Amino acid sequence: MKTILMILLLVLMAGCRGPIIDTQQVPAKYVAGALPTEDPASGMWDDAPEHPAKMMVQDVTEPKLIEPGVSLLKVRALHNKDWVVFRLEWDDPTQDLIPKSGSSSDAVAIQFPMRQGSDVPDPAMGEQNKGVRIWFWKSVWQDDDERKKSGKGDRISTLYPNAAPDHYPFEAEPLKKDAKAQTEAARRYAPARASGNPILVRPNSNPVQVLMAEGFGNTTPAGSQPSAGRGVWKSGKWMTTIARPLKGGDELGTLEPGKRGYIAFAIWDGAKQHTGSRKMRSGWVPFILNEQ
Amino acid sequence: MSYWYSENRPQRQFGAVFDTNKCIECQTCTLACKTTWTTGRGQEFMLWNNVETKPYGSYPLAWDLQVLSKLGPQTWEGDTYTGQTVFEAAPAGLRVLGSERQSIDYNYPNVGEDEILGKVDRGGSLSLPQEMWMFYLARICNHCTYPACLESCPRSSIYKRPEDGIVVIDQGRCRGYQECVKACPYGKVYFNPSTGTSEKCIACFPKIEQGLQPQCFVNCIGKIRLQGWVSTPDKVKEDNPIDYLVHVRKMALPLYPQFGLEPNVYYVPPVHVPDQFLFQMFGPGVTKAKEAYLNAKEDKTLKGLFALFGCTERTIPYFKIVGDYAVALDDDRREIVRVPIYEPVVVRKAQDRIYQIMRSNTT
Repeated sequence: MKTILMILLLVLMAGCRGPIIDTQQVPAKYVAGALPTEDPASGMWDDAPEHPAKMMVQDVTEPKLIEPGVSLLKVRALHNKDWVVFRLEWDDPTQDLIPKSGSSSDAVAIQFPMRQGSDVPDPAMGEQNKGVRIWFWKSVWQDDDERKKSGKGDRISTLYPNAAPDHYPFEAEPLKKDAKAQTEAARRYAPARASGNPILVRPNSNPVQVLMAEGFGNTTPAGSQPSAGRGVWKSGKWMTTIARPLKGGDELGTLEPGKRGYIAFAIWDGAKQHTGSRKMRSGWVPFILNEQ
Repeated sequence: MSYWYSENRPQRQFGAVFDTNKCIECQTCTLACKTTWTTGRGQEFMLWNNVETKPYGSYPLAWDLQVLSKLGPQTWEGDTYTGQTVFEAAPAGLRVLGSERQSIDYNYPNVGEDEILGKVDRGGSLSLPQEMWMFYLARICNHCTYPACLESCPRSSIYKRPEDGIVVIDQGRCRGYQECVKACPYGKVYFNPSTGTSEKCIACFPKIEQGLQPQCFVNCIGKIRLQGWVSTPDKVKEDNPIDYLVHVRKMALPLYPQFGLEPNVYYVPPVHVPDQFLFQMFGPGVTKAKEAYLNAKEDKTLKGLFALFGCTERTIPYFKIVGDYAVALDDDRREIVRVPIYEPVVVRKAQDRIYQIMRSNTT
């Protein structure tokens, strides 16, 4: 009887074979050809090893995160010698897209030191003259673009579908004949848009923004650095891809296959109003692009 | 008091006095502000200026009760506050003792409107120890000397203008963390879900730069407001209207001074409201301020100064009394306008002999 049970157990275990777990580092598997940069559910991820990144509260600078959020981020990576794409998977019981008073957007980010090598900067946003570059995915940016493509309403009509405002000056009758004047009037009453705020005025429909930082409080968009990504929320779980080219450009170090580098991660839970430094973060995690 | 940044006062500080006794809560100020600044998408429930009925009204919902209950009982020794401010009382890991703000808190700007504390003629449904009273409290951003919003912003997107002390949010730099929304104990920073940034009263700085008072001041039909410049107590100028009311006569008081922000909008407290309630709201100077206000009719300088409220769109940095006139002066002490301190009184007989009717004088 025991033998039969043992055999049954082995058969079951063989059927449930999960990914190879690498607790020491994030190994990026080499694949020839196109990468699933915007497809976190692609079958190509099945054979990629997984690194369970331990997340901790950001408690270095104010405002600190007092209540811990999600403590585990599952990371897989693929590269094709031109680009590397990461798939980040974490538990989040609620899908939080549009921020409003009392809640924010779900988000995730990957951080690279400006210069690869063992002399890494402080993992908490880098330090002066030892900066970091961050690939930051935010759910509301993706949602904005998806709503726009599918012809759905803007953030306000999505948040408040039954709201009926009496009047906006930019909808005034004399302006209706002149689209340019109408846009100008609407812009005047959206000062962040008029100021070209990069969280609102983005160069493309890409939900990943590349940022640079040299310590706390000075995060700044890093110009036109290439990036890609897409998140899918299903059954209390986010699976999000974030991709970047291996070639750094400007002062950012290039990622080279076979050479060890470092990366770090951060997660924001919108329902808990995680924003800015209120986040779960990791320390530096070794990272390698496998040559084969 | 502890503050994250060292003291750095502006060249001159925007200041204002609101006379609560004259406010009729017509909300003209609210609409003047609304139509000027916040009619955009995402600003639907955003009122940089609002007027609420005390004791039951509040916008955003329970802004004052939230912070008072979090701060808990504190102490005064005479006229000196010895308790904790929102800065010392900050929980571990945060710079300011903040409040929770949900989007629904902004949906009822008129909650508690005109509700009185006390009994109606045939007896109320509940009995309370207080007398029957209510009053209107008009509120804008206080452009504080120690702004909690500024201190709380982790990426320094908020600054205090060195030329006039007006506190503004850099709309190009803000990343919508909402730390300022939670930190301001007065609830005067708002999140715009359309742009994803936080916004607030800018004291109509484009007008201030031209020597003009903000929209909510000049549109006030009750003429309850006066904008000018407030000095520190060691540099008081007696002919500065704000200094005169705040420092010389001490009849205009800061709103919730115990929060520790040194707000720069000062209120003449309502004379009909019990001191016990007003102590909490305006500090221990309430009794003397009310007394001075009740005697103002005998005081030519005070009466003249109040006559200057709402008499011109120009900012009034200085004033003087000449005979039976109050004279508003500009920065070079040149005359802007003069108004009579005493208006002629006409007593009209109740019966109109020409039309053979009785008139009722209602004012």
